[in-house]
Amino acid sequence: MSESTPVIDVTGLTKSFGKFRALNGLDLTVTRGEVHGFLGPNGAGKSTTIRVLLGLLKADEGQVSLLGGDPWKDVVALHRRLAYVPGDVSLWPGMTGGEAIDLLGALRGSLDEARRQELVERFELDTTKRGRQYSKGNKQKVALVAALASDAELLILDEPTSGLDPLMEQVFQDTIQEAKDRGVTVLLSSHIMSEVETLTDRISIIREGSIVRTGTLDDLRTDTRSTITATLARTPDAALLAALDDVTLSGHDLTATVEPSQVGDAMALLTQYGLSDLAVQPASLEKLFLELYDQATR
Amino acid sequence: MTAQPATTSAGPKATGTRLLLRTSLHHDGRRMAPWLALVTLLSVSSVLVYPWVFPDQEDREALQQAIDANPAVGLIFGPANDLLTTDGFNAWRTLALGGFLAAMGAIFTVVRATRGQEDSGQAELLASGVMGRSTRLLTGVAMALIGALATGIIAGALTIVCGGGTENSLLLACTWTVTGWMFTGIAAVAAQIGADARTSTAISVGTLGTLFILRGFVYSVEGPAWGIWINPLGWMQETAPAGDNQWWPLSLGIALTAVLLAGAFALEGGRDFGQGLIKPGPGPERGRARGPWGLAWRLAKGSAITWTIAFVLLGFVFGYFATSITDLIQEGSPLAAALASGAVNPDDLVGEFLVSVLSLVSIFAAIPSVQVMLRVRSEEMEDRVEPIMATATARPRYYAANVVLALLLPILYMGLAGVVIAALASGAELGVDVGEVWLQAFMMVPAIWTIVAVSVLIVGARPKVAVAAWAGVAATFVITLLGPSFKFPDWALGISPLWHAPNVIVADTDWTGLGWVTLFTLGFALVGFAGFRRRDLAVE
Repeated sequence: MSESTPVIDVTGLTKSFGKFRALNGLDLTVTRGEVHGFLGPNGAGKSTTIRVLLGLLKADEGQVSLLGGDPWKDVVALHRRLAYVPGDVSLWPGMTGGEAIDLLGALRGSLDEARRQELVERFELDTTKRGRQYSKGNKQKVALVAALASDAELLILDEPTSGLDPLMEQVFQDTIQEAKDRGVTVLLSSHIMSEVETLTDRISIIREGSIVRTGTLDDLRTDTRSTITATLARTPDAALLAALDDVTLSGHDLTATVEPSQVGDAMALLTQYGLSDLAVQPASLEKLFLELYDQATR
Repeated sequence: MTAQPATTSAGPKATGTRLLLRTSLHHDGRRMAPWLALVTLLSVSSVLVYPWVFPDQEDREALQQAIDANPAVGLIFGPANDLLTTDGFNAWRTLALGGFLAAMGAIFTVVRATRGQEDSGQAELLASGVMGRSTRLLTGVAMALIGALATGIIAGALTIVCGGGTENSLLLACTWTVTGWMFTGIAAVAAQIGADARTSTAISVGTLGTLFILRGFVYSVEGPAWGIWINPLGWMQETAPAGDNQWWPLSLGIALTAVLLAGAFALEGGRDFGQGLIKPGPGPERGRARGPWGLAWRLAKGSAITWTIAFVLLGFVFGYFATSITDLIQEGSPLAAALASGAVNPDDLVGEFLVSVLSLVSIFAAIPSVQVMLRVRSEEMEDRVEPIMATATARPRYYAANVVLALLLPILYMGLAGVVIAALASGAELGVDVGEVWLQAFMMVPAIWTIVAVSVLIVGARPKVAVAAWAGVAATFVITLLGPSFKFPDWALGISPLWHAPNVIVADTDWTGLGWVTLFTLGFALVGFAGFRRRDLAVE
């Protein structure tokens, strides 16, 4: 497999459960060495996609290539090279966290002892507690330590940090960064915007079983509008108002939105009315996703 | 119901019970239905079938003789006082078994509504609402009491409608209800002792199983009266429906229920949420399970140890019981007459008898293996197979680890129970030696594998109907225990794989059966493996 072959290459993937069509012609490409954000509203098909990638579900239609192989047929060979953290970590009730980490590592065939030790300390995990005694966040830590201590070249993480506290979230981000530096490819499904912003190189957004948008954060941002807040000396006239969208005027204060590419033109227009104060803000990540999820429904 | 916290006059401890009970009955009520249906089916079928299969006195006497001659059946069903009337037959066939089923229903209802909810986190949501400390336990207990009462009323009424005598059937129905109540109490106490649903269920079902076997044992060997009166299930037997019709032993059962419930509520008041009297200590920091084989064993280890002890005890019960055949051959018995006439060879008779005893043990020996296979499904549904499959573990290897464990366990259990039975039987001047009886115990294993293979097939290929994994055990149980006395034809008896087990104690052993059962085992297992390999995982 050459360096340029995508680690994950999915085209036209379809999967139905009875009459319900969970995935509908999904395309997804993840290139080697990138951290790829996999986002979408609840129930859009993220976990189903991941389960197909893991060979747990069989694709009804479409081509699925994972690390150059077929995830349904080449299960063992492929799984030696990847590690997975599920969204709902379910541990064996009577087994300690330490036992679970060792079992999963042994099953995968690789467990870096030094890194296991280091991760247990950094995540402040008590490995002698039993599965049923762990809180949600601690169960996730067990699964994360098991995955990150492996020598996998691909990490598939399905909302891995939904139960972690901010300190542990920071540890998680650091460890993913380190994994990336080792050349590990990561598919990260997440709802935590700061995490997505810090970690991911590219993002794919899924909605109702198909990918509606793929690109870097900046690519996606070009599609969304910046907000302009300005204080003007003179009351603007119709010519100005026509060039802006979502305009609200209160006395001399104006708020409006423009396409990112139109910001310069808008500036030029505004100066004609005696600009005394100005702020231009790109869309916040939350707003960006709200817009993207929302657009996708239409 | 009795104990003071258990009154529904909404003290602060029981606030919200009425609402929770109504909701629980609405959502979980139907989960009690199968137990109720089984008891009803059992009882109604016997009053309908009996007059039809045994129309005249002659047939009935033949049945009585057949049952008397096969005391192995008595171990499960208890003493057959009167098989000459429909009611007598129904009382013999359904008193013990109906009570057992009603008790199982009560146990699962109580444990699910208390420990089960605490394990799943549902209880935390409920307990944070406006709800007294004892409300959830009270609700579970009330549901089980209502369920047992409904079982008695519905099964009893339908039995009378279908031709059962009124007083006899009423008393019989009361024994089911009271048995259900007593085990509501036992389960309520067990739910306070064990720290999770699994432990609580194990304690309750273990108690039920022990008392059940002891009851059959004491009656079969005509043990001392105190052996009957220390056993709550013995009280139910002593009501003797369709015989003496004693109503007063029922009051013992009700009193026991009251005491147990009072104890449960007292224990409940003193424990922390999610904790039990048995507290798990910290576990090992590092794991030794390094593969699917290690995992399968790690998960089965706890119950395997319990079953190992159980099978040694079963060996003693059945072995001691096996020696009782000497009483049967005593002068004056129908068997002695058959022997005297030369129709039956004594060696063959002893051989057949030991095989029928070992067949019973075999049915029990299949149960832990079916549990191992069903655990594959529950692990899958609780999303614990997913992370395993995400490692370099092929599905066939994961499945094989569990299947092989399920096949190895019966060898261990039959070996243990068999050696005890062999030792006791050989010491009782039955003309058999330890070696051949022990060998016979192992001869049952291929047939047990076929029963287990049914669950391999179901869990692998059709997990939606997971309960069908018990089909092999249920069918074998019915055929082995009831088939011969109901004059089943050979082809019907042959559905039970145990019927094909070669008998090495008799003069000429027929080995062909071994080939047949193995063929079926292989077929079932192959379909199971193919299914597990191909199907979607963790999908309803």
